[in-house]
Amino acid sequence: MKTLVIAESEQAARELSVGTRAMADEIVLVTFGNPIPGIADACIDISLPDDAIIEDAYLTLGDVIDAEQPDAVFIEPSSQLLGLGGRIAALAGTAAITGITELEDGAAQTNYFGGTGTRTVIPLSKPVIYMAGLGSLPSGGTAEGTDEVRSAEFRRPERSAVKKGAQALKTETSSLPEAEVVVAVGRGFSQEEQLGLARDLCSAIGAELGCTRPIAETSNWLPRSSYIGVSGLMLSPHVYIGAGVSGQMQHMVGCNRADMVFAINKDKNAPIFKQCDYGIVGNIEEVLPALTEALS
Amino acid sequence: MKIAVLTKILPDGQDISSAPDGTLDMSRAKPVISEYDLTALEVAAQLAAATAGSAYAVSAGDASVSDSKTVKNILARGIDELFLAADNRLGDMDSHATAGALAALLEQMPAVDLILCGDGSADLYAKQVGPQLAACMDIPYISGAIAIEPGEGSAVVRRKTETAIEELEVSLPAVVSILPEAATPRICGMKDILAAGKKPVHAVADIEPAASGIQASVARAPQQAERLNKIFETADEDAIREFAAAMRAAL
Repeated sequence: MKTLVIAESEQAARELSVGTRAMADEIVLVTFGNPIPGIADACIDISLPDDAIIEDAYLTLGDVIDAEQPDAVFIEPSSQLLGLGGRIAALAGTAAITGITELEDGAAQTNYFGGTGTRTVIPLSKPVIYMAGLGSLPSGGTAEGTDEVRSAEFRRPERSAVKKGAQALKTETSSLPEAEVVVAVGRGFSQEEQLGLARDLCSAIGAELGCTRPIAETSNWLPRSSYIGVSGLMLSPHVYIGAGVSGQMQHMVGCNRADMVFAINKDKNAPIFKQCDYGIVGNIEEVLPALTEALS
Repeated sequence: MKIAVLTKILPDGQDISSAPDGTLDMSRAKPVISEYDLTALEVAAQLAAATAGSAYAVSAGDASVSDSKTVKNILARGIDELFLAADNRLGDMDSHATAGALAALLEQMPAVDLILCGDGSADLYAKQVGPQLAACMDIPYISGAIAIEPGEGSAVVRRKTETAIEELEVSLPAVVSILPEAATPRICGMKDILAAGKKPVHAVADIEPAASGIQASVARAPQQAERLNKIFETADEDAIREFAAAMRAAL
């Protein structure tokens, strides 16, 4: 089988290349102005003009797919690549497979209503287009590949968007996908200063800090790249510790594959207590410092 | 400016429950407007009002989408007319087939300058119908819009990616996907809902569904991992010590 991996970020490029290695004899990686050698059998880099957007690279990708004839295309589900992926799927006369939690023999387990349900989706035609988020493919493989980098000419559609300006957002690459131990904070944290309590616990036990969607998107206390759950990170760490996390399905779907789940919440009726191995009903202001001290 | 808003009508996810055997019970989940489409409807209503234009909602799905309460809810949101294809053959389509059905629907409507869609649907959150429709109509697609400024035959779209806020100029028509932060959906009053009852609903028949490129099984509740469920109900010293010991053993 031959796979095409399309990624914007280096992290996704690596994870998707490593993750498809077990199923593919040949992997071609497509990047956008940041070629990454050594992780695929060839890297095709598309250098976009400054005023072009990735969604408009569909003619170029159409050319690449025609030339490479992949059996499956794995795409990082960033906002722009989801748009590009939709157009690639349309060119292939199919629909992309999205919301993937697991992939086995080409069949994907996918989220339905934010993890309330799961559906098995199978492709009926080739190439299959998978939108594969961090953590959706098997990890643990090793990166291998060649240093071959080719460039593909950006072919602009007749009608396209023209970028007039851009303002960089603060970004951090997240080390959460590989973390063995994750502490997640939720709405139980009412002030940004309280995050220090969670950070202290992280340092004591060597954990990475993640959060629920409102903490990243409503409170803006942590970067978008650190929220766990539907449309965010899908993790399977060894230990997950939810602090002030109520346990909504939309969040838990991103961490319920952890080997062990711990919960700290002041509400004894919080749904997370039904989905954890160990839970403690208590205030984060009291429990977290005590835990940090006990585990330091 | 004439604007079409792609509106998904689906069961209310909050009222889906699962039986012990893992089957999902949708019987109490009434049809609702997919949450993020509310923002797209609001943006369309505001743009139509600002340009003395018209806002049309467009929806396709199985027979349940013609639910009168939901239809009124759409039209109570500053939307002028609804074009609706409610047909059981259009149920559970994949994004490619949905875009095909919506494109066929759009052909039977007044020509529009702008097509808006929500960030993702409540059931699949796939963000695929927008780009699929743009491909089908051979027009540009822009994701992640937070503001739209209409111009002559073009629009300036401010949009957010994972790494930047960008200002894009695009010729119209185009398909633009709207982020939830672009607007706050209005709260509809009784007056809005009564007025909605008098607005035109165009039932469009004879839309042929395209063949599906992927096949999805019936949804089931996810398998829950077996958990120990040891809960300390009072966070006293002993409880914290035992909780910490369990954590140390797990690490």
